[in-house]
Amino acid sequence: MPLELETRGTQTEQGWQDHDGFLGPIQPGTGPRSDPRGDFPTGPEVGAAMPDVGCLTADGTRFDLHEHRAGKPAAFVFFRSAVW
Amino acid sequence: MQEFDAAGVTLYALSYDEADALRDFRDAHGITYTLLSDPDSEVIRAFGILNTLIDPDDHPWYGIPYPGSYVVSPAGTITHKFFDNSLFLRAGPEQLLRAAQGQRLLESTAEAAAPEAVEVNVAFDGKSLAFTVQRDLVVQFTVPPGRHVYANPAPQGSLAVDVVLDDNRHLVQRAIVRPESELHTLAATGESFQVHHDRFELRLPLTVSNAAGATTAINVSGEVRWQSCDDEVCDIPASRRFELSLPVAQTPAVALGSEKGAALEPNAMAHFQKMSERRQGSD
Repeated sequence: MPLELETRGTQTEQGWQDHDGFLGPIQPGTGPRSDPRGDFPTGPEVGAAMPDVGCLTADGTRFDLHEHRAGKPAAFVFFRSAVW
Repeated sequence: MQEFDAAGVTLYALSYDEADALRDFRDAHGITYTLLSDPDSEVIRAFGILNTLIDPDDHPWYGIPYPGSYVVSPAGTITHKFFDNSLFLRAGPEQLLRAAQGQRLLESTAEAAAPEAVEVNVAFDGKSLAFTVQRDLVVQFTVPPGRHVYANPAPQGSLAVDVVLDDNRHLVQRAIVRPESELHTLAATGESFQVHHDRFELRLPLTVSNAAGATTAINVSGEVRWQSCDDEVCDIPASRRFELSLPVAQTPAVALGSEKGAALEPNAMAHFQKMSERRQGSD
């Protein structure tokens, strides 16, 4: 799918205001304010099997999603960063 | 988290940060759910949600996902997804929990299980409105037996159930989450259309805008609309005004390099530098 960058914004005295009305320190469409406009990939669809996730925990130990949740329902969040 | 634990729902959160950055973050905020580290964005790429609008040369930012959430059933099937075009918006904990519990109905306040007329109740699923965190305004309907209300879209000339907020600069809203409707066929004419029966609810995701200035409470007001029918006669369209005063959670500004006075995460500058150097070194 062709991806379009969301760049609509107006500069105000308090910062850049995007088309939803949120204020940010930099112009929409630059650096971390790279919002998609229109459709964008959101990964596997509802109804599909949740892919397994293999990575490290915060403690540096190996992690396997389906092994860890052990048949329980789960909410899995992808977030930007714990640093910025 | 207690509510997630009580409901037997496990919560995970993954980012492209190094494990030691997540550890500082976890310890600083007393986080008890599982934080996951994907510093090379391998999981993010495997899901196909790498934010490719960020130039790979923008070292510090490149590698983040389009932020979003999946809700997974006990069998491992994705039952709900929460993604938004605005990186400012995130699914609220109540939204995730309600989805994971497999039921969206709040406890009903309808006085009778089978009222004589349509009953409407407006509630908020959460304790407070917040900046970036979405929570739902919930409109509960109880429809008398033998009657239905029109789902969206309604047949021409009829009115679908709806909730319309008054203009409010403090609020950002997203599309109403509607339950699945049922196909209803009139015995007399064979005409078919989509309706709702019995008890159901509409959910309107709300978040607080940071552009209208700080506030400690927001009056959320608007109108609920519906049209109730049985198989022979329709009532005229009905509406009911509502107004809720909701507290606003005060969230600190934490983004690195944003407004003055923003609180940094612990060791943020050191983690950020390490992240940048590692990425530049991998070219």
